[in-house]
Order: sequence, then structure tokens, then C-alpha cells
Amino acid sequence: MPSLLILVPLIGLVALNLPNKDIMRKLAFWFALGLFITQILLAIQHHPVFWNYQLEKMDSFFRVNFSVDHLSFIMLLCIGIVSTASLLVARHTIHDEKERFKLINLLIIASIGMSGTVMTSDIFSMYIFLEITAIASFILIAFEKNIYALEGAFKYLMLSATATIMILTSIAILILAAGSTSFSDISQAVRSPGNNIVVVAIGLFLCGLMIKGGVVPFHAWVPDAYSAAPASVSVLLAGIVTKVAGIYTLIRTITAIFGLDGATRSALLMLGAISILVGAFAALGQKNMKRMLAYSSISQIGYIIIGFGTGTFLGIAGAVFHLFNHSMFKALLFVNASAVESRLGTMDMDKMGGLSAKMPVTGATSVIGMLSAAGIPPLSGFWSKLMIIVALWRSGDHAYSIIAILAGVVTLAYLLIMQRKAFFGKDNESVSEAGLGIKTASVMLAGVLVGIGISFPFIFNRFLAPLREIIHR
Amino acid sequence: MILPMVLGILVFALRRARPAADLCAVIATAANLAVSILLFKGNAVFSRAWIGLGFEFSLRLYNLSAFIILAMAAFGFLLTLYSVVFMRGKSGACLFHALVLISLALANGAVLANNLILMLFFWEALGITLWGMIAVGGRHSFRTATKAFIILGICDLCLMAGIAVCGHLAGTLTISKITITTGGLGGLAFIFMAIGAISKAGSMPFHTWIPDAATDAPLPFMAIFPGALEKLLGIYLLTRISLDMFTLSPDSWASFAMMSVGAITLVGAVLMALVQKDYKRLLSYHAISQVGYMILGIGTLLPVGIIGGLFHMINNALYKSCLFLTGGSVEKQTGTTDLEKLGGLGRMMPVTFICFIITAASISGVPPFNGFFSKELIYDGALERGKIFYFAAIFGSFLTAASFLKLGHAAFLGKPQKEDVKEAPVAMLVPMIIIAGLCILFGLWNSLPITEIFRPILGPGLEGHNFAGWPANKNLVLVTILVLIAAVANHLWGFKRTGSGLKAVDHIHYAPGLRTVYEKTEKGKLDPYNLGMKLADVFAGAAASCDKAIDWIYNNFTPSAAGVITGSIVKLHDGNYRTYMLWSIAATAIIISFLLK
Repeated sequence: MPSLLILVPLIGLVALNLPNKDIMRKLAFWFALGLFITQILLAIQHHPVFWNYQLEKMDSFFRVNFSVDHLSFIMLLCIGIVSTASLLVARHTIHDEKERFKLINLLIIASIGMSGTVMTSDIFSMYIFLEITAIASFILIAFEKNIYALEGAFKYLMLSATATIMILTSIAILILAAGSTSFSDISQAVRSPGNNIVVVAIGLFLCGLMIKGGVVPFHAWVPDAYSAAPASVSVLLAGIVTKVAGIYTLIRTITAIFGLDGATRSALLMLGAISILVGAFAALGQKNMKRMLAYSSISQIGYIIIGFGTGTFLGIAGAVFHLFNHSMFKALLFVNASAVESRLGTMDMDKMGGLSAKMPVTGATSVIGMLSAAGIPPLSGFWSKLMIIVALWRSGDHAYSIIAILAGVVTLAYLLIMQRKAFFGKDNESVSEAGLGIKTASVMLAGVLVGIGISFPFIFNRFLAPLREIIHR
Repeated sequence: MILPMVLGILVFALRRARPAADLCAVIATAANLAVSILLFKGNAVFSRAWIGLGFEFSLRLYNLSAFIILAMAAFGFLLTLYSVVFMRGKSGACLFHALVLISLALANGAVLANNLILMLFFWEALGITLWGMIAVGGRHSFRTATKAFIILGICDLCLMAGIAVCGHLAGTLTISKITITTGGLGGLAFIFMAIGAISKAGSMPFHTWIPDAATDAPLPFMAIFPGALEKLLGIYLLTRISLDMFTLSPDSWASFAMMSVGAITLVGAVLMALVQKDYKRLLSYHAISQVGYMILGIGTLLPVGIIGGLFHMINNALYKSCLFLTGGSVEKQTGTTDLEKLGGLGRMMPVTFICFIITAASISGVPPFNGFFSKELIYDGALERGKIFYFAAIFGSFLTAASFLKLGHAAFLGKPQKEDVKEAPVAMLVPMIIIAGLCILFGLWNSLPITEIFRPILGPGLEGHNFAGWPANKNLVLVTILVLIAAVANHLWGFKRTGSGLKAVDHIHYAPGLRTVYEKTEKGKLDPYNLGMKLADVFAGAAASCDKAIDWIYNNFTPSAAGVITGSIVKLHDGNYRTYMLWSIAATAIIISFLLK
């Protein structure tokens, strides 16, 4: 019944927009919250009755093949948690009820798109869901309709359109080659060597996904989009949208369809290393908190790509785990950024200072997020970085593993700059702690980081060890 | 042993609640005293496997260690009582008490330890508490504390090296099982361990921190540590290594070396003591000088000398701590210890004065006080080993007497410099009276400590002698008395010449030859610590310039390199979406062509 995760929100969305909007507006938040929490619980539980039972008519009506494996579970969990955080932030940063209603609708649409992306086993359906997510994201970024929001959305739109063209072209070639759109059929078709046009299609497809994921040098839209979007949207975008649209799809298509041959592998390692370095150094030079976090995202995505590039189980598991962790701590840091923004009205770090004293919850959770991002034990970020670095070393890419380690220093440097400028030091403003919803979101995400870090062996066995199946298929 | 540690931490915790902490300190030391009385004469071994590396946490209580523990407990109690009053109202008093208790615990541990590693642990930890106690003193004391810590630290390092060699030679680190001869490596081990021991006792040339501490550290510290506990510890270890761990014969080089160190220390330090113009500083040089007697006595390796050395150790602890306490009373009541500003205190502080007379007579070796008997035993031993050592000892005695005549004259007699000085409070007087009483007791009834305590330590090596009672060698006694009379005569002559008790010994100070030595010493030019520090400065300079280069890489090069990289990356992002699309398409082209290859 995985299709219910698409259908129920879709039906709910239509129902919410029926007449008698006053009641619906109040209901919308609770409906969305219920949806996301259900998704979290289902993804943690992965109960076979729900996931394996086929509703024949409904599925055939959709003409979409849903197949859910452990990678999908992790992604669904991620989507659920980050969407919840984004929803909580939205409730407390957008005060106009009408506007908030619109935003929640779009949030639900984006989450439908993402859930669909991670569950489908058909390359064309994947593209459809990607576009659903992307369109919802354009509108969400431009939500405030000021010049910056429009600029950010426009850049994202332009680059995303480029990506769409590449992906569509590629899919067209692949359909010609394989005669079908399901992963398994294409996989068989593309693995026969010597067909240059197929290689071009693969290249186009991967590059299109990397634009969506914000890998250097396809990353340039990321800082503008993240910083122009309203608070709750940047949580969603940085936390999950780019990860699902770019990185998950990359991992999925390579493992399920294209396979990781030598050339792809070295291309991924190289792009990952460049992303790590460029993102980290660019973050070092930022004065705007959200922009700094955006560049930090690029750098962390580099880690995911480089870990995936090893092609070993440890590397891929580390990459997926880092994807999850990155979603958590980046969402946390963006939630805290939105808390600061809602109180100070600025993101310029030179104008902040001493916020820890006035905003204890925000200050404390942001320390946790920062330490996790920098990979300090025993927080979750440490384990995933460790897995990636060990995997790199074992697969013989010593130079890359050294880059990964050294870039950790730069990561710590820019995060410390942020922490010092914003939260420590002399305070010069009279601000109060953020609202309840933002606090709840921060504490929830920080709890996830600490909890996963401490119970890492359990997490590894339950969620990461089954990932072996996606390599050996 | 655990007891004072726990209570010490409690005192530390109670430092906000003043009276409670004071009370607690007194009770803690009293309890410690009670426990050690109970344990006295007992023999016990407590042993438990420790950290799984073959080391044992092993404590051994036998007659010597039981006696040392008892003595330390007694001093701990009396001096804490004293310092509670003395330190009242001074900053850091509670910290000081806590450190004293912890040190007491560590010293107990060091004495009881039957394993060299364990002993070393306690021994070195004492260095840290010592540092803390000196540093409580005030603004200047920090430097002194550091100096003491460095000197003792280096000596502890020697001890560590000695222990390592010992362990290597003997194959065990359990003290009671070690027997080593002093040939080759064994000699090296002996030298290292002896350095560790005598430096703790404060012998030359490891003494230079003590006079500095006398002026900077809180006074009770001087009475407790250089005055009593450290002597006990250092001489205890020296006895252990020369009697138990190493098999030494009286005519070995080790004996000669120890006696030389002892003789040089006792003469050198007393010469310095003679010219001091500060009550506490003068006493501190005597604290060094008296160690010379003990090392000399033990260094003879004759039963008579060893008994004398040990007896002198306890006697010295008694009268030296009492002398420091009189100094403390004077400081507390007059606010200064500068002898030029003191005078005529005898009438105003009669009890203090009487205690001073008794203990000064003891330290000068006037019969029938305790110092006389122990010194006679040492003279006896020294004479048997060589006349030169005997003369050194006698000369030291002469100077000791002269300097105490000077001190007593300057502080307690003569014209009063200040009016309305009152006698010290009772709690400060009681420890002084008790200790002075013990000086008399141990003098008149010297068979009590000698037969009860020291003879069992040597056991069968005594050859039937009984060293108690009036000294056997009447000629030596005669010489001693003559020397004392000479000292008095010297003092009177000097007094007549200069008209001042303080300047009565100036003719020695400005004697030809000695004068330059004094000048250099006063300026600290002969202080091995200062010499060492100068050498260290050279090294530090070299290291610093090396460090600067590394610093430059960290502080300037790396950030500016990072800055350039960051700046150029940031500049590349011109905010124009066409540029970005161009990047994407170009990158796609490159990647595809790469994949096609």
C-alpha cells in the first residue's frame, strides 16, 4: 500500500481546498502534521503488511510501479522529519493565516513529490515526481514575492529547466535503447558496452541530477535560493529537497541502472572532492548566516558524493547515512537561523552576538548541530564521516581521504565563526527566545542527532546494514 | 592514610564556611594522630594488585615507617592548630589547610608505600601540593613556588631514573625485596635515588628555593614542610636506600660522597644563615644546614652515626618547627620579621622568648637539650671516619651558636623598637610549648626515643652498644662545650665592637675572602637554579624562534592562503544566472567527454 502515501495527501489536499475555507485553514496544519508523523512512524516501523500488500486496482489505476526498499525507508524517514520541522517553523514565522494556508498546501505537494521520487522504480515516474517537487519549490522560494525571492526562484528555475532538458533528453534516448522505462529493463539495455549514445545519455542524466543536487560546479543557484526563501522553506530545501531531487536519485539510478564503472567512479570522486573544498572555502567567506549554511550544504554534499564514489558497501552506507545526518543537522541549523531571523530581522552575522544568553534553546541546539556537522564524536555526523573516510582509505583513494579529513578542519572553522559571531560573545540586543514551534523543531532535530550518535551500533544494524541489497542487485 | 585526604577535600569544599573548615582541619589532623598512635609499633602489610601491569598497590607498616607517620601526624596536628590562628583572616587560608591535609595524606602514602612506583606517585604529587601551598602566600610567592616546583621536579626526575635502574637491576619494585650493590649501574641508581632523597630534605645544592619560600610562603608552611615533614621524608628515604635497598659498607665511595655533601651543606648553609637580616630567612638557612648533620650522620654508615642522624632528624623537626613558630608569633604580633625593626621582644612576649631560648639552645647543641645528644652521636661517627668531617661539624656548630646568639639578641633583647606588642594567642602558644617541652624531654630522657624507636630500626647491627644516656666520649663533650663558649665569646666581642646584637657577627661577614662569596650568593649568582634558568633561556630563545616560524605558518600564511582561495571563489559567483548555466553546460560537456573515453 505504499501508494497511500501519495494518495492520502493528494485527496486531503483537494478536500482542504473545498469551500468553507475558514475551517480548512485551521485544519490544514494539523492535517499536514498528522501526515508527516504517520510517515515517520511507518518508515521507522517498516511493517510488512503496510509496505508489501498490493492494492491491485489502485496501483494499476496509477500505472506507477512503487517498490520500497531500505534506501527508500531512510529517505521517507528523512522527508517526514524535515517536513515536520519545516511545518513547525512555518506555523511560527508566517503570521497571516491565508499565506500560511498556501504555504502548507505547497509543502504537502512538495512532500508528495519527494515521497513519490523515493518510492518509484520507473525512470519516467521518477522524473514526474521530481518535477512536482521542483515546481512546488519554485513557488515556495518565491513565496515572499520580493526582489530577492524572485531572483532566487528565477535562478533555480533556469538551472532546473536546464536540468529538465538534459534529463528528458536522456530519458528519450534510454527509452529508444531499452523500449521500456522501468529500472530493470533499462539496466539490462545500458550494460551492453560500446554504445556511445547511451553513454551520452547517462552523462546528461547524471549531470541533470547534479544540477538539482547542487554539486560543484552545478551549485551556483543554491546560495541564492536558500537565502532568499522564507525560513521554513529554506529548512525544507536545504534539509531534503535537493537531497532527494539530486543525491538520492543519483544514488538510485547509478546503483539500479547505470552501474558504477571506473570512469563514473573517478568522475564522482573528483566532483565530490571539488564540492567539499569549494563549498567549505566559500562558506568561510560569507557574512550572511543562511548563505554560509548554503555553502556548507554544498560542501557536505561533496562528502556524500565522494563516499558514494568509492562504490564499496561501507562507502555507500556512509554516504546514505551522511545524507540522513546532513538533512538533520542542516535542517536544525536552518531552523535556528530562522529563529534568529524571526527575532533580529537580519541574517548578517556581524550584527549578531551573544544570542546564546538570550536564546538558550537555540544556542544550545545550534552547538549540537555545529558539532555534528563538524564530525565531533559521539554525535551522528562523526560516524557517517568516519565511515566515508575509512571507506575512501580502504578503497585506495588515500589522497581523497586526506582531503576529506583536512576539509573537516575548514568545516569546523566556518562553523565556529558562525557560532562565535552569532551566539557567543558580547550581546548587544535585547531579544527573546524563539517561539514554541521553532523550539520544538530544534529540540527534536538535536535529539535525533544525539540519539543516533549514541545508539549508532543499533542504527547501523537496523537501517544501514540492509543497504547491502542495493549494491548487489 | 586515606583519612586526611578525604577530610582535606572536605575542607576544600567547605572553603566558604570559614569556621567549619578550620574546625574540620583540626579534627582531621587529630584523627590522623590518633590513628597513627594506634598503628604505632604495629606491623602490617596491605597489598592489592594494581592497574594490572604487575605493580602492586602495597603498603607496609613497620617500625621506621610507623615512627615517621607518628611524627608527621603529631606535627600535622600541632601545626594545623597553630596555622588555624595564624592564617585567620588571610586570603586562601582554607585552601592552605586543605592542601596541608592532602599533603599529609600523600606523605603518609609515600612513607607507607612498599612499592617504588607507588612511592614515586605520592612523592611527586607532594610537589604539586607544595607548589600550591607556597603560591597561597601572595603576589611574589608564585615565582618562588614555580622555582621550588622546578627544582624538586628535576630531582624527582632523578629519583624516577634511579627507580627505573633499581627495578631493572633488582627485577622487582617492592622495596622490601630489593638488595643492590653499588657497583656500576647500581652506583648510578644509588646516586639518583640519593639525589631524590636529599633534595626533598633540602640539602645543598638543591636548597635555593627554601630561603625564598621563607620570605614568600605563609609561615606555617615553613614550619610544616621544610621544617618538619620534608626532613622526615627525605631522611626516611635516605635511610631506606642506604640501609635496606643498597648494601653499603662504611668505607665505600658512597659513604664518602654522602658525608661530603653533608659537611658542605652544613657549613655552607650556616655561613649564609649567619649574615641574614630576616628572622625567617635566617631560620630557613638553618633548616638547610641541619640537614647536613643528618646526611653526615647517616653517611658515616656506622651505627652510632645512623642513630645520631635519625635522632637528629626528629630533634631537628622539633626545634626547627618550634623556631619557625616563634618566628610566626613575632610576625603575627609585630607585622614584620626584619631583624632591624625588631628588638626587646623578650619582655613583651615572654612565653615565645622562653620557647625560643630552649629551642635555640637545642639547635646549638647546648646540653642537656635534645640537639646536644644527637649531635654528639654524629660527632662520634664523623670523628671515626675522618677528622675533616668532625672539624666541619664542629665549625658548623660554632657558627650555629653564633647566629642564634645574634638572632636572639637582635629580636628579643636590646632596645624595643615597637611598644605595645602583646603575647601571641593561646592556640599559637600551645604547639610551641608542647614542642619545646618535647625538646627538653628528648634531651633529658634520651633513652626513650633511642631505645624505643631507633635501635629496633638498626636491629642486629648495633654490636651491643647502647647509645642512650650521657655521651660515652667525654673529650668530645669537652670540645663541644669549648666551642659553645667560643661562640659566646665571639658574640660578645662582636657586640662590643659594633654595639649592636644584629651586627655582632659582621666581622665574619666581611672577613677577607668570604666577602666576595657572600656578595655573589646574595645576588643569586651561585644559585644553580638561576644558572640553570639562564641555560634554559638560551634554549627557550632557540625554541621560540623556531616556534615563531611555525606560528607564522599558522597565524599568517594559512589564513591568508585560505583568504585568497575563499576570496577568489566568492568572486567567481557573480550572481548572474547566465554564468551559472554556462558553468553547468560546460561541466556537463566535460563529464560526458570524460565518460566517453
